[in-house]
Amino acid sequence: MTEEYAAAELDMKPGKPSFWRRLSFVWLVPILALLVSVGVAWQSFSDRGVEIEISFPSASGINAGETEIKYRDVTVGTVERVEFSEDLQEVLVFARVDQAVWPFMDQDAKFWIISPDVSVRGITGLDTVLSGVYIEGDWDREADVAQTSFTGLQRAPVAPPGQTGTEIVLRTTEGSALSAGAPVLHQGIEVGVLSEPVLSPDGLSVSVSAFVAEPYDALITSSTRFWDTAGFSVSLGAGGVSLDVSSLASLIEGGVAFDTVVSGGAPISDGYTFDLFSDEETARSSLFNEVGRPKLNVAVLFDGSVSGLSVGSDVRFQGIRIGQVSELGAVVVDDEFTERRVELRTVLAIEPGRLGLGEEATPQNALDLLASFVDQGLRARLVTGSLLSGNLTVELIEVADAAQATLDVSAEPYPIIPTTASNITDVADQAEGVLARINDLPIEELLAAAIDVMDSANALLRSDGVIDTPEQVAGLLADVRDVVGSEAIQAVPGQVNNLLNTLEDTIGGLSGIITSVGDADIAGQLDGILTNVSAGTENLPEISTQLEQVIAKANALQLDALLAQAEASLAAIEQVASNDDLQEVPVFVNQLLDEARLLIASQDVQALPGELRGVADEAGQILSDLTAQNISARLTEAINAAASAAQSIDTASQQLPEITEQLNALSAEAARMDLDELSAAATQLMQSVTEITATPSAQALPASLSSALDEVQLTLAEVREGGAIENVNAALQSASDAAQAIEEAANTLPDLTDQAGALITSSGDVIASYGERSRFNNDITGVLRGIQEAADAITNLARTIQRNPNSLITGR
Amino acid sequence: MRCKRCHGPIRSRDTESLQKVWAWLIAGIIAFIPANIYPMLLTSTLLDRSEQTIIGGVIELLHYGSYGIATIVFVASIMIPVGKFIAIAYLAWAVQHRSSRNQHQRHKLYDVVEFIGRWSMIDVFVVAILSALVQLNAVATINPGIAALSFGLSVIFTMLSALAFDPRLIWDEEEPVRHD
Repeated sequence: MTEEYAAAELDMKPGKPSFWRRLSFVWLVPILALLVSVGVAWQSFSDRGVEIEISFPSASGINAGETEIKYRDVTVGTVERVEFSEDLQEVLVFARVDQAVWPFMDQDAKFWIISPDVSVRGITGLDTVLSGVYIEGDWDREADVAQTSFTGLQRAPVAPPGQTGTEIVLRTTEGSALSAGAPVLHQGIEVGVLSEPVLSPDGLSVSVSAFVAEPYDALITSSTRFWDTAGFSVSLGAGGVSLDVSSLASLIEGGVAFDTVVSGGAPISDGYTFDLFSDEETARSSLFNEVGRPKLNVAVLFDGSVSGLSVGSDVRFQGIRIGQVSELGAVVVDDEFTERRVELRTVLAIEPGRLGLGEEATPQNALDLLASFVDQGLRARLVTGSLLSGNLTVELIEVADAAQATLDVSAEPYPIIPTTASNITDVADQAEGVLARINDLPIEELLAAAIDVMDSANALLRSDGVIDTPEQVAGLLADVRDVVGSEAIQAVPGQVNNLLNTLEDTIGGLSGIITSVGDADIAGQLDGILTNVSAGTENLPEISTQLEQVIAKANALQLDALLAQAEASLAAIEQVASNDDLQEVPVFVNQLLDEARLLIASQDVQALPGELRGVADEAGQILSDLTAQNISARLTEAINAAASAAQSIDTASQQLPEITEQLNALSAEAARMDLDELSAAATQLMQSVTEITATPSAQALPASLSSALDEVQLTLAEVREGGAIENVNAALQSASDAAQAIEEAANTLPDLTDQAGALITSSGDVIASYGERSRFNNDITGVLRGIQEAADAITNLARTIQRNPNSLITGR
Repeated sequence: MRCKRCHGPIRSRDTESLQKVWAWLIAGIIAFIPANIYPMLLTSTLLDRSEQTIIGGVIELLHYGSYGIATIVFVASIMIPVGKFIAIAYLAWAVQHRSSRNQHQRHKLYDVVEFIGRWSMIDVFVVAILSALVQLNAVATINPGIAALSFGLSVIFTMLSALAFDPRLIWDEEEPVRHD
């Protein structure tokens, strides 16, 4: 049962305070937590970076969430996931990179995978052995339109990250010596680096990228040449043998070097392609192939073989290389005058700048220059570049007496330079030429003629007259030697001048006289006289012994004192010589010499030898004429006759001892002469000379000497201007005429000798009759005395001249 | 009204209890989110550098076949905190809706939650000990991640939430009259 009627309990509850009043402060905690969480989340979201996508051929070593992206070795991002592209062609690597860096990842950004690498140049990426690979990125420092999708590089770019410079492409045909990382050298210093060589798809060339760092990339212009420095090379060319060995390092790892040989190249940009040459020489010489620099192409048509000439052979002008052979070929020439024929056309590529026309020269300039040169005689020819290799070069040379020719400007395809004879010093050719010449010699004819000559000579020599001749000739020569040795003959040259003058007059008459000589017996008589004189001179040795005595006496003279005096006088002369005037003498002498040289150089003098040659020719003719006639036999007869005459003279000369005695006495007297007095006088003379030279007038002697030289100079000038030379020439001309006359006369000589033979026979009788007659001998004695006096006079004259040489000049 | 012995405030009921419970609970749940998103451990060794979240660690342990440890970690780090959230939320919800059912069971649940609360920091303890011990420079280093801090905060907030709950509220609703 329930208490139904119990009053309902009043449900009393305190009134609820409002919601806001009951709100606890504890609520701040979750709000704060929420704020913090949201803040953290927001910050985390905003900091998580930008997702980029890099496609690689393969993702070797890339781990999602681990592999980092580095820029200059600083981590700027992390790979988040790795996926395939839709067509499975590539691996897509998604990574988040720092927001601060991302704006710089514009189009030029590059990504590649860094993995350990061991090469000749060292080990790179060693840290990745432990940490795993990472992705290296590189981009420039200028923010551009940032990208989110990139294509990764298969290998690291040539340029080291963060280094600025220029990247170029080198093209070559053979890349075995190139390896990635090999240096690019300039003047031996590494300024860049090579990347991996790549074979072109057609397999014909190898291209390799090279990076040249700043500031050295400025050295590269379009005219720069690159060459391979790997290994060593031996080349045998026109310049001889050349051996190039680079550094040991480049032997192993290879490398390229470059140089800008000529200025004026255009600046280059990234990706410019250069040819890589096999060696430095080729590279340097390749400048002629430069595309940017127009060349002048001219053709040369060589007649002979151009074997040894090759494309690339030098073209030289005055020894300087101005171009090279660019083409060798044969062309069929078909003109209306001749038959069809093949000509060898060599095309020369000439660099206008090398002709001295400057950098800006055009081919037309060069062509004009060459045309004018050709008018002056410029010709092309082949010359030997190297004896060893037989290489030929084309030389443009000025030929002095070249036939007139012009540069054929209108020729197609290139203007044609005329040629001249080649100068090929081929050893084999030369030897061949020598042999050919020897072969061409008329040896058989020569030998036959020689045999003939010898036969006739043999016959001639076997003849009796010839056998006798040598003795006679010996005697004749002895006589001639005596005559020639005489003082008079020695003095002859001085007198020849006068003689020539008189000869001119005389010979005219002589010619007539000689013709009459044939009739007269004069020659025969002269002959006899000479023979007699010859016999007479046999006694001369005695005279010479006397003279020896005289000389011995002269030796004993007081020469010492004389010498002392001479020394003193020399000292005085030295004083004189030190005089200023004397210093001028050489000048005058020089002038004198100049005059003399002028004189000699004058045409007249030059003509003298010619004249003399004419005379000699005439004389030669005479002699040959003489030889032709059977003179020797007749001479033998004459000489035989002379021998008999001499025998008679011998009997006659039995009187000669008297003459000899006379001579002895003469010599003895000469020996007795008071030479002591003479030397004393000489001493006095020297003293007086000393005194004289000490006098002021002697001091003035140099001056007068100078004036004398002046006079001589003037005289020479007069001689030059006057007709002295002409006189001599005229004299020689007359001598020539005379010789001709003599020749004519000689034609009559056979008769003359016959006559002489008869004369000598008769004179033998005459002389035989002289034996008893001493009057003739007396006459001869008188003649000899006269000769002695004359000799004395000559001696005096000589002494006078010796003492006073001036007299020769002054005429006193 | 104060206690005559200790002068502490004496109230028959903490009227603001549920508010505090909810507030701490929400804060704990908020803190629990980053504790699971962010890595708990930052491990750097010579070759490797890894970050592990709680779940990631559990999965890794499972990969290595350490099922026991994986279970412990999972229970201690995931199940218990989540269970506490659910339990406290249920208690608070039940009180608010003046449920009079299962009052005994609910009180026991509250005791369990409060008891477990002090043991919920196992993860944080592990991280703290490892971080302190494994500091071998380049060879191996372990550092606590953001999740460790968040997890600790989450546990603390949950404990405070549990403490703020006034268990007498469970009993305020009259037990329904059993009509025999």
